[in-house]
Amino acid sequence: MEEIVSAEARAEALKELFEKKLNSAMRLYLESCARCGLCVESCHVFASMPQTRYTAVGRAEVVRKIFKRYFKLQGRFAPWLGETLELNDSSVDALYDAAFSCTGCRRCMVHCPFGIDTQLIMSIAKALLIGADKEPKILSMLADMSIAKGESIEETKADFAQALANLDGEVRELWPASPTPAVPYEVPDSRVLYVALAGSHSIVSAAAIMNAAGESWCLSSFEAVNFAAFLGDAPKAKRIAQRIVDEAKRLRVKEVAVVECGTAFRYLRHMIEPQGFEVVAFAQLIDRYLAEGRIRLDRSRLAEKVTYHDPCQLARNSGVIEEPRRVLRALASDFAEMTPNRAENWCCGGGGGLVAMGEEEFRMKSSKVKADQMRASGASVIVTACENCHSQLSDLNRHYGLGMRVEFLSHLAARALVRSR
Amino acid sequence: MAGNLVAQAVSAATASAPAPGGSAAGAAADAVSAASVLPSAGPRSGFGLALDRLEYGIMVPLLYVALAFLLVALSARLVRILRAPGPPYQLAIYPAPRLPLLAALRDAFGMPQVLRRAPLFWVFLMMYHVGVLALLLGHLDLFPAIRIMPAGSRHMLGAGLVGVMVTLPTFYFLGRRFMGENRKISTPGDYFLLLLLLFLFLFGDLMSWGNSWTASGFVMTKSDFSRYFGILANLSFADPRTVLHGAHYHFIVIHVFLAELFFFVLPFTKVMHAFLALPVEALRRQVWKRS
Repeated sequence: MEEIVSAEARAEALKELFEKKLNSAMRLYLESCARCGLCVESCHVFASMPQTRYTAVGRAEVVRKIFKRYFKLQGRFAPWLGETLELNDSSVDALYDAAFSCTGCRRCMVHCPFGIDTQLIMSIAKALLIGADKEPKILSMLADMSIAKGESIEETKADFAQALANLDGEVRELWPASPTPAVPYEVPDSRVLYVALAGSHSIVSAAAIMNAAGESWCLSSFEAVNFAAFLGDAPKAKRIAQRIVDEAKRLRVKEVAVVECGTAFRYLRHMIEPQGFEVVAFAQLIDRYLAEGRIRLDRSRLAEKVTYHDPCQLARNSGVIEEPRRVLRALASDFAEMTPNRAENWCCGGGGGLVAMGEEEFRMKSSKVKADQMRASGASVIVTACENCHSQLSDLNRHYGLGMRVEFLSHLAARALVRSR
Repeated sequence: MAGNLVAQAVSAATASAPAPGGSAAGAAADAVSAASVLPSAGPRSGFGLALDRLEYGIMVPLLYVALAFLLVALSARLVRILRAPGPPYQLAIYPAPRLPLLAALRDAFGMPQVLRRAPLFWVFLMMYHVGVLALLLGHLDLFPAIRIMPAGSRHMLGAGLVGVMVTLPTFYFLGRRFMGENRKISTPGDYFLLLLLLFLFLFGDLMSWGNSWTASGFVMTKSDFSRYFGILANLSFADPRTVLHGAHYHFIVIHVFLAELFFFVLPFTKVMHAFLALPVEALRRQVWKRS
């Protein structure tokens, strides 16, 4: 008896969580689907592992059937008509399967006649999973660590500054004329605050490029990555972003340049309120420097056939589409597009937190279509502008024996820097 | 009650003068047809009376109830959506169009996503949606105050073609539901809705096609339907049998009943996309200004 009451109370609590997510867009998405099936083949997971649960509509229907059960008359009078779902252990498992097999790439949204956003619908699934304490714990832990770092940043600043000083040599190898320090830190009134990731690979090349451009910049104390956004924990995601917002305001910067990380960029650029400073992707910054003649790149250094992978969060979800291509054309003599590309590009299969969660077997199986696309390009170098995509493409390259080289756009640009006249 | 109905019938029959613009021969045929099918003289009883009452209930009062329900439920649903908090962040897809509203209109009415990926489906969808629009116009045209087709026309708008434009695609949509992944993503509600629409359209087709395949030509003309709509518009609560003649009346009743069922369920089905498509499309096309 106690168990029944507890199950009912849990369902009621989850229902309340669900209701909180019912904004106008969500209601429109939940009410509009005609189940035409046009999204079925949009998902890279379905294209690689053809199962209904891996279709956009299949995933959204799990949430929609719960919606019908609790928020529509049909759920009360004729639940069988819509095959509605109760909130219980079984439906929570289905929610997990739906939410964490979806990378949130929104390719299905491009193909849907109504433009239904499966990623937004999956945010309900993720919120319910958190409510049911069934969310991926690794993502929770990483998000909590980011927040904790924000709370104790003052204690670690000195060590961080010392570590950055150790990067001077690496930056000078790429741009010998770099000022001292080569990686400026905590400089009020800098024009640009560069937000990197953990690891020097996300700092050195960017520092060389900004130094070559004579930019007034400094490095953020924080990592750009927002694990809470992957997790679907909106309050935590906001707190993680707020650390950077506060820092940018404290240093009175004009622009926040986000490292090659699609989700971090989209979150800061499009998912929080405007904050009085611009937010740009690092690929956009390189493109601007080239356009303004502040840096020059040597095209002769990269003679191999190069192709570009559009990171979903950067390209179709944020509009950074042509800038990376202009940079690539400036540094590679043999650039060829993959098919499909731009808004239609296949997701790498590592988004939505899957890379951080591990999940290697699923990632490799579910991205076979991506590996096929990479192979078909005939390129020997695949370039991208997102850390997640880079990790996933590297894993695919190894798993499927593609024999390609996976590169960051910023790394290629830094290596191709030439001194101005 | 029965006596009252007969009195109304006689009064309506005497009042059914030819509509302005209608031919004399047509009017004569209408009059003959009307005279031959008036409810039989004398009081009806038993099953006949029950059927009369049921059919009258469906043709007049229930139609008002269904329309009122549709309006209220539809408004309530739309208000609920519009009054919900706005989206938490921009939901646009890039590249962003220069004219978002125009792009949303193109998406909603042109369905380019379907055209690119499933051209045959697109042909049927376009045929269906244009047909539905023409169907609405054709029914509005039955109100005496609206004149799209000439008042004396025997045909409704499209002369039966409009019915085909919606019926054929509905067969296609239903067949498509049984194929591949579409079968797996379909719910019983999807089939019931399509079946409801299919039968609604088929009985409509019977009016516009079967109705004219009699030895003497039309049993019921657009003018007859207009008189029925006149009864509805005037809130006179007269018996429609007085203006709709012949055995096909029962099929009209079924057609109207299916339409009422559709009105009752519409606000709770995916047909809501008819009202929501444009705002949904706008979400995909609208890039928020950041200042």
